[in-house]
Amino acid sequence: MEEQGKSEKRTFESFHNKYYKLFLLIPLCLIVFSLLYMGMFYSKNNDFIYKDVSLTGGTSATIYGKINTENLEQELSNKLDDVGFREVYDVVTREQKAVIIETKSDIETTKQVLEEYLGYELDGENSSFEFTGSVLSENFYNQLLIAILIAFVFMGVVVFIIFRTFIPSAAVIISAFADILMTLTLVNMLGMKMSSAGIVAFLMLIGYSVDTDILLTNRILKRREWSLNQRIFGAFKTGITMTLTSLLAIVFALLVVKSFSVVLTQIFTILVIGLCFDIFNTWVTNVSILKGYMEKKHGT
Amino acid sequence: MALKFTWRIWILIFVLVLSLLSIFGIPSFQKGVIIKSVDTNSTAFEQGLRAGQIITSIDGKKITNIGDFSSSLENKYNFNESVKIIIHTKDSEIILFSKIPPEIIVSEIQKTNIKMGLDLAGGSRALVQAQDKKLTSSEVNDLVDVISNRLNVYGIADLNIRPVSDLSGNNFMLIEIAGATPKDLEELISKQGKFEAKIGNETVFIGGEKDITSVCRNDATCAGIVSCQVSGNSEFCNFRFTIYLSEEAANKHAEITGNLDVNATNPEYLSEKLDLYLDDKLVDSLFISKGLKGRVTTQIAISGSGSGQTRAEAYDAAEESMHKLQTVLITGSLPYKLEIAKLDTISPILGDQFIKNIFLAGFLALLAVVLIIFFRYKKIKSSLALLLTSVSEIVIILGIASLIEWNLDLPSIAGILATIGTGIDQQIIILDEAKQTAFLSIKQKLKRAFAIILGAYFTAVVALLPLLWAGAGLLKGFAVTTIIGITTGILITRPAFTDMVKKIEED
Repeated sequence: MEEQGKSEKRTFESFHNKYYKLFLLIPLCLIVFSLLYMGMFYSKNNDFIYKDVSLTGGTSATIYGKINTENLEQELSNKLDDVGFREVYDVVTREQKAVIIETKSDIETTKQVLEEYLGYELDGENSSFEFTGSVLSENFYNQLLIAILIAFVFMGVVVFIIFRTFIPSAAVIISAFADILMTLTLVNMLGMKMSSAGIVAFLMLIGYSVDTDILLTNRILKRREWSLNQRIFGAFKTGITMTLTSLLAIVFALLVVKSFSVVLTQIFTILVIGLCFDIFNTWVTNVSILKGYMEKKHGT
Repeated sequence: MALKFTWRIWILIFVLVLSLLSIFGIPSFQKGVIIKSVDTNSTAFEQGLRAGQIITSIDGKKITNIGDFSSSLENKYNFNESVKIIIHTKDSEIILFSKIPPEIIVSEIQKTNIKMGLDLAGGSRALVQAQDKKLTSSEVNDLVDVISNRLNVYGIADLNIRPVSDLSGNNFMLIEIAGATPKDLEELISKQGKFEAKIGNETVFIGGEKDITSVCRNDATCAGIVSCQVSGNSEFCNFRFTIYLSEEAANKHAEITGNLDVNATNPEYLSEKLDLYLDDKLVDSLFISKGLKGRVTTQIAISGSGSGQTRAEAYDAAEESMHKLQTVLITGSLPYKLEIAKLDTISPILGDQFIKNIFLAGFLALLAVVLIIFFRYKKIKSSLALLLTSVSEIVIILGIASLIEWNLDLPSIAGILATIGTGIDQQIIILDEAKQTAFLSIKQKLKRAFAIILGAYFTAVVALLPLLWAGAGLLKGFAVTTIIGITTGILITRPAFTDMVKKIEED
């Protein structure tokens, strides 16, 4: 067993030594694909994401209780702009708890139309309303984009301060960037409508994805014991444990929050996607760049 | 394992105890329901009931929860006549005579000091800005004064209103009201509330303290519904209340009426009427009796009406418009038109269930973590130490949040989850560094672990900073809890965990 494990490891090691530079082609292709996709996406939608009402402006109404949703959409679609709805269930009993209706119409119209449809008055007890004006949401969206940009730049600066060498620091930043880019692309391909909370998830992603990259870079640059490959493998063992624990914890939590919180569901879904890409980008993209850098530097 | 804790572990224990104290306070064993707000225009308020008091009994019956409270009021006010009610608070006895139940909102005494944000506990939040105008910060401050005065006059007590600004320098007024959302909140905060009384084209007086020295409210002798009648298919009720003009306004009134003739068709009155406008809309036109011609009078009756399908509806509508009119007459108008940029009204009913679900999600997530850790390291002690550290981190974040009275909203909860995630990641780094079979001492190994963790810490903190300002700070909760959490991690829990690992490894 042990012997076999070791020889497998050695086979993989020589395979990795031989081809790791070629591995870089995969993230490169993905990045190029993502950039192309996002370029097309942007020229088509004039934006980076599909926005939900918290970012386009509009009303989100939550009506508690069992609501018949069979012809809800049809009934409402000619009276409200861009209407969509979602049901909320109890985690355990699977009983319908509420319906969430999203529309670009303003709060007064929405309330009126819904009251007409339901036949009773909506008050602070049986419903919740969230309205965002279109000017504010536009503003809000732009600021969140700026926040992400600043966050990313700050993160990059800190990484440079920590490692003080160009290529390894750049490698960390490139893999963080690739994470965000690929996650964004997949989120758009899935047609997910992003809320302000979703954008916060991207901020979280910056933090999470950089963690493993810093671990890897630190182990490789600042340690002298063992061979390069051993250090990479050691970092991999730690890093993959970190990411897998986060991933599994989030997936478990996602199963619960899915039924009752739209906001947390979106945050967690984006994190799951992002963490999966992070595994790839840390252990393929970042490792390959770093390994190349080390080998060139030490002439091996 | 010998139970000899290092000072770092002691610090963790000490901070944990402090946090628990901060969350749960010193146990008080008080029974009763706490008053969240009292309508300032009510007899309950006049008799001395105030927000924050604890009701212990009603009519001699002990009150221990909301159920007791509502059952003691049930069936008491069914007949339209005054009923006596004796309310005992912790240190006083209050007797009310009224046709309607006391106008107070109560809730159960909080078991913890943790404050839930509006999106969890229910309430309303509005972000207001001026229409077609960028407000300066001093203008927003003035606005905050006027609107808080207006809401207080209207009787909304549990209120938090403050200026906020965002990354691009826009200033807003943020209004947060806990608990049930008042009807017509939108109107109260966004209507300019410009009141004008005109005769012909001339303005006699406007709302606000310059022209109006006092307004009669809550006094049946000078304010109330005076009559109701049927007209066509609907009911109408009329209200009337007295206001007192300043000398200046009274003189102006005398001067203008002095130039008027007596009405030809209706000789009891003058030829022009006193027109009342609210936000440029005609509310009512009052005949001016001919005896007032040219006289300096400071006392004027304001009237108006409300309508509805039934008598009760019309009565309520009239009362409400009276209330609104009184409010603007007292507080005056705003210098510019306002616009609601964001308005959220969240029902309080799902809050409790939400918290339960969050705990369920958190529990499952931690379970997943422990499973992986145990599977990977196969050491019960390390896995337990990791679990304990993470749980204590949650406790410390909640403790600090209660201490600084931070309202935990949805973004804050996401922040706590993020913290636990990064915390566990860092603990894994510590465990792995300790396990490495290098020639170094355990102390040196852990020092190396800290180098990595510090790097991760600083990148996370700087990435969160912009969120403190972006979007008028509505997502601030995320940044604040995360920064509290990861800083606690670096300063307290991670060092303690390191020592625990050291102990476990040395054994």
